[in-house]
Amino acid sequence: MNDRLKSLYQTVILTKAKDKKFVGQLESYTHSITAYNPLCGDKYELQIIVEDDVVKSLKYNGSGCSISKASTTVLCEKLEGCNAQQVLSGIAEFMEIVDSDASRNAEEITKNEELLAFAAAREFPERKSCADLSWKELQKQFNQLFPYHSKE
Amino acid sequence: MNIKSIKSEFPIFRQKTPAGTDLIYLDSASSTQKPQSVIDSITEFYSSHYANTGRASYWPATESTRQVEQVRKNVQQFIGAKSETEVVFTSGTTDSINKLANSIFNSDLWKGRQIIVSEMEHHANLVPWQIEAERHGLNLVAIPLLDSGELDLVAYKELLEKPTALVAITAISNVLGTINDVNKICRLAKAVGAITFVDAAQLAPYAGVNVEYLCCDFLSFSGHKLYGPTGIGVLYGKQDLLNQLPPFAFGGGMITEVDIEGSSFRDSPFRHEAGTLNIAGIIGLGAAIDFVEEVGFETIQSHEDELTIDLLNRLADIEGLKILGEQDRRGPLISFTIDGLHPHDLSTYLNESGICVRAGHHCAQPLMKKYQIPASTRVSFGVYNDMNDVEQFIKALKGAYEFFL
Repeated sequence: MNDRLKSLYQTVILTKAKDKKFVGQLESYTHSITAYNPLCGDKYELQIIVEDDVVKSLKYNGSGCSISKASTTVLCEKLEGCNAQQVLSGIAEFMEIVDSDASRNAEEITKNEELLAFAAAREFPERKSCADLSWKELQKQFNQLFPYHSKE
Repeated sequence: MNIKSIKSEFPIFRQKTPAGTDLIYLDSASSTQKPQSVIDSITEFYSSHYANTGRASYWPATESTRQVEQVRKNVQQFIGAKSETEVVFTSGTTDSINKLANSIFNSDLWKGRQIIVSEMEHHANLVPWQIEAERHGLNLVAIPLLDSGELDLVAYKELLEKPTALVAITAISNVLGTINDVNKICRLAKAVGAITFVDAAQLAPYAGVNVEYLCCDFLSFSGHKLYGPTGIGVLYGKQDLLNQLPPFAFGGGMITEVDIEGSSFRDSPFRHEAGTLNIAGIIGLGAAIDFVEEVGFETIQSHEDELTIDLLNRLADIEGLKILGEQDRRGPLISFTIDGLHPHDLSTYLNESGICVRAGHHCAQPLMKKYQIPASTRVSFGVYNDMNDVEQFIKALKGAYEFFL
């Protein structure tokens, strides 16, 4: 197996893709976000409870490749318990990690190995849309989740 | 031309992939690679006698016009049309269908009738009809699929009991590979007075086309799936129908008389070919038709059938792998799913071995929904594939099993 593939499909990604911790339905939730890539068919529904401007709980269900699945798991992991500001910076950080045009190396952005695993998307531009599928949709819907939070 | 050495006609296979491997191209149902003769025909045209076609009376315009009209004649023979006036150049099958749908359903004349497609249609042979149905008050219905991956022709006959304006059907499914009984489908449609359209995008490179045999009013195929260039396709239509239809587009070359107050239009094919044609594309299409005719469809078909059967047999032994469709008659393509291994992960893995396969919904979402799968992996063959390609694919597929599962 070549190193390029190994870098994309690190143990982190393969493990997180199989991790069922955040897979399922919440009994009730304040927000539902659908992340969908019409070009490939990957589709996830994220169910989120936002209370007092904090992400209390998240679950997701749907289907997609191991990269989009792992990335959605990591999204849930990283953003659970975060307030609006932390969600915003968490998204920005992830987007920079997978961005091949970013000026910083991924290692300069974070030391977190679970996030760093997605930096391999920089080498596989055709898979970037898998890596940032759920993150991008969350970014789009940020104002719905936190209507009183100013991005400034 | 010997099929065993035909790969050497395609320059793309002379180089290595970025992964340092030979290129194993298994996505011809999406688009085929180009033989040297097609590439050369385009270079030659631009280098030696390029000019716009039409009324110019100077050389090289006379030569480019002659060549375009020669290709039109060649297409006529290639598809078995009665006259070259039945051959309209478009930019491809999608373009053909959009133009045709828009032209046929240009008024509310057909209101209350139905358009019949099938559940296995490519989006290109579904969405344009759907939109016209919405615009003009028609009802769009689909011939259901049987579990085998074949169309339910009993259900089709029942559908035809309602007033039907048009039946649009693919000759070969781009996902299942099913070869439809187009002749029967068109004859049944004709018996109730419906117009028939055949999407021959997958059929043309595999078995060629004969509009008489298929018994259709309209048919389309694309150059780029037939070893020809991108951006060129053909819409065949019966002459009287093409002359009755409102022009597909308006502009230069398609008019007889123009005044500020109004204009009148030429007969087919010029009626439907406004503006400057994709002349180089037409020349390239001509070379592509020469190429497939030189190889011969009997040879192409038996060669690709051999590869398809071999691959089917090998895939049958693989655990957790499910092939879509179990029909008897299959074109040169196979789609499958693997439990726990997503098509995109598989195709990224295969790419590292220089193997190109298609992963996704193949522009046929209704079909995917029918099978309750979000995506599948598709392997499809062209003339240049050989047993070694199948072997390398199987080897890499087994590697992917070890890696992911």
